[in-house]
Amino acid sequence: MMSPPKKDNVFRALDRKLGAVTEFTMRQYRTKLSTWVILGVGFIAISIVVLFYVDSMQQEIEAIDNDGDSADWDGDGYPTGQERIYGTDPENPESHPGTFTPPIAPDAPEKWINEDDFDWDLAASGDTTAGYDDDGDCRLADSTQSQKDNNRNNIECDIILDYDEMRGEWSEPNSDRLVDEDPDEEKYAKEAIHRAFLLAIGKMGFVFLLGIFLPLFLATGLIREEMDNSTIHFMLAKPIARRDIFLGRIVGYLGIVWPYIIAMGAIVGIISGFAGPGESLFRFADLGMWMAIIFATMLATLVYGMLFCALGTLWKRGIILALPFAAWELGMAILSFNAPTSSILRFSVIGWSLNIIDAASLVVWPNMALFISMGMWGGGYGGGGYGGGGRWDNSLEGAGALSAFASDTGLGISPIATIVVSTLVLLFQAAILWLVGSAIFKGKEIE
Amino acid sequence: MMPDLQQVGEGETQQWAPNITAPVVLLENVSKSYGKIHALSEITLALSGGVTGILGSNGAGKSTLFNLLMGKLKPSSGSIKLFGTDPWKNPAPYARVGFVPEHEKMHDWMTAHGFVSLFARLNGLTREEAKSEADRVLNFVGLTDVAHKQLGRYSKGMRQRVKIAHALVNDPELIVLDEPLQGCDPLARTTIMNVIRELGKMGRTVLVSSHILHEIERITEQIVILHNGRLLALGNLHTIREKMDNIPHTISIGCENPKELAKDIINNDAVYGISFPSGDRLQIQTHNLNAVHRELPALIVANGHKVSSIDNPDDDLESILKYLTGGLAR
Repeated sequence: MMSPPKKDNVFRALDRKLGAVTEFTMRQYRTKLSTWVILGVGFIAISIVVLFYVDSMQQEIEAIDNDGDSADWDGDGYPTGQERIYGTDPENPESHPGTFTPPIAPDAPEKWINEDDFDWDLAASGDTTAGYDDDGDCRLADSTQSQKDNNRNNIECDIILDYDEMRGEWSEPNSDRLVDEDPDEEKYAKEAIHRAFLLAIGKMGFVFLLGIFLPLFLATGLIREEMDNSTIHFMLAKPIARRDIFLGRIVGYLGIVWPYIIAMGAIVGIISGFAGPGESLFRFADLGMWMAIIFATMLATLVYGMLFCALGTLWKRGIILALPFAAWELGMAILSFNAPTSSILRFSVIGWSLNIIDAASLVVWPNMALFISMGMWGGGYGGGGYGGGGRWDNSLEGAGALSAFASDTGLGISPIATIVVSTLVLLFQAAILWLVGSAIFKGKEIE
Repeated sequence: MMPDLQQVGEGETQQWAPNITAPVVLLENVSKSYGKIHALSEITLALSGGVTGILGSNGAGKSTLFNLLMGKLKPSSGSIKLFGTDPWKNPAPYARVGFVPEHEKMHDWMTAHGFVSLFARLNGLTREEAKSEADRVLNFVGLTDVAHKQLGRYSKGMRQRVKIAHALVNDPELIVLDEPLQGCDPLARTTIMNVIRELGKMGRTVLVSSHILHEIERITEQIVILHNGRLLALGNLHTIREKMDNIPHTISIGCENPKELAKDIINNDAVYGISFPSGDRLQIQTHNLNAVHRELPALIVANGHKVSSIDNPDDDLESILKYLTGGLAR
């Protein structure tokens, strides 16, 4: 026993003191009822949000005839859109394609609902023009040149896309008349709500709720409870530095919290992958989003864990010290939705964590900003249908929600670089808090 | 900042080795105060080998002294060295120290074996080494057959023995026991005392605190008496007691016929007073305890008295403290 420590490899060395503290901490958590209550409450809270999401995905969204051309104003059995194509008068019952030789059969009115969907959702960056007049009502033979090109870019029946570099967002689309004017509300809304759900549950459910409340209840007492119970004496009487006890406790806490976050992310990810809209059975493309959400939450629980454990070590009622931090982080989370480029966000943990999710959303859905801009424009006639429908804006359902939850990363660098920088900043924050926390613990006199 | 993978402690402790010439425990002018309250004042003490009892009434500073030794408190002034190293700055010496805290709370959800082997790993043992070490120390305190029961189901005495077992891991050279006998049943008391005596015989340095003199007396003769944070006396219990012999003492003798015994005893010069608290008990006052104790057995045997007990009711911590403080104690 007296010989100096043998040359161990890293894993054997880790398995010794630090591993023992970690293993002890994990076993201790598993025996505590409070651990399971907290994890269970987190599960229920997330599940409720998921239920709302699944319900909204099941709901049918009413198809709206935005341009009103499915209606048969003159009662001759031919919808207005069909009559326009054939050049007959939609307001004269005597004039309709049935009088042609050979006569043309009337279309079902449904054919003229959602018949001119968006055709510019996959516009590559740098494109300045997009759109296609599916129903042909812009390209009518008897229309004049200026009717076909009323946005005056010398391209008939298109939409001008203008990305404003200064403001960092797309300007309101400037379309020729009757181009992409009757979009498929259901298709757009389902996709927008799905994306908004992923961003919302990732940011507020995972990073904020799980990311702050798990550490608040599980990490604040890591050292403090042992001090209050006087069981810390067994650990302090051993040849292990307090800094390593602190780290071992944190690693043990992460050993409970991280697998839980991964499991929760996997469960919600699989549910939303099946329930979400799309051609295929499962939305594999969202995988990157879920990886980012899980990763950002893991980093948040690491930093907050270090912080709250240090505050608990500092004062018997560390949770009271932790609450202002939690409130600050909530404020920063709200700020990140309204003013994502605000530099005060750099003085928070959640600002950097949310950056990771926002950056990932740009990687997974590269046309996100354009997609939002499309929905806000809504085809020009408005989500309320032809004639207004009482709505003050033209946006399609889901566009507003998505616009609220999607934020700019505010760093002005590429999404991948944003993820790397944010990760490094969070790890740096964790390292600083570890040093501060162990310094507090080291200077603590314990009776 | 990389974690310390060797886990011996802090960077400076990687190559830690005890200072062979330094005493196991060395305190120089150590004081600890909380504001105006002086928990310990100017304690100077050097200990190496053998069992030493730390005696003092509640609040005398025993626990403060131990907490300073175990690096849980920082001295207000003075220096503390374990094997030549300051334990507040460097936990490395604890590789050779076992500590039994006085606190009752333990991790009740663990088994004794799980508890001892897990904390043995903090001494740098591997899992396998820790398990066999746990078997060894639990056997040493006589708990082998219940080693796999949860601590929550243990009696107080058994828990105390588990704490001692946990302190004996890695065969430490210094064992510090804070009130190990408090609240224990007689069986556990005897076991614990035997373990402590055994450790003393093995040449370990053992520090035992207590506020009950006769407990300490059965384990050791070397004592340190603390009173109000000051070191009142240090040395052999009998030497201290002999000094007390020349002050008034009471001896209480339980016997069949106290009156007959009194007649024989009254002739002794050292005895100056006699009383009969009950029908089978004789109480004598003396100012030379030693002389009475020397002659009393012969006297009893010569006159055929039937004696059931001889007690010194004054011979407790309070009277020693009273003597040492010149009547100022209490």
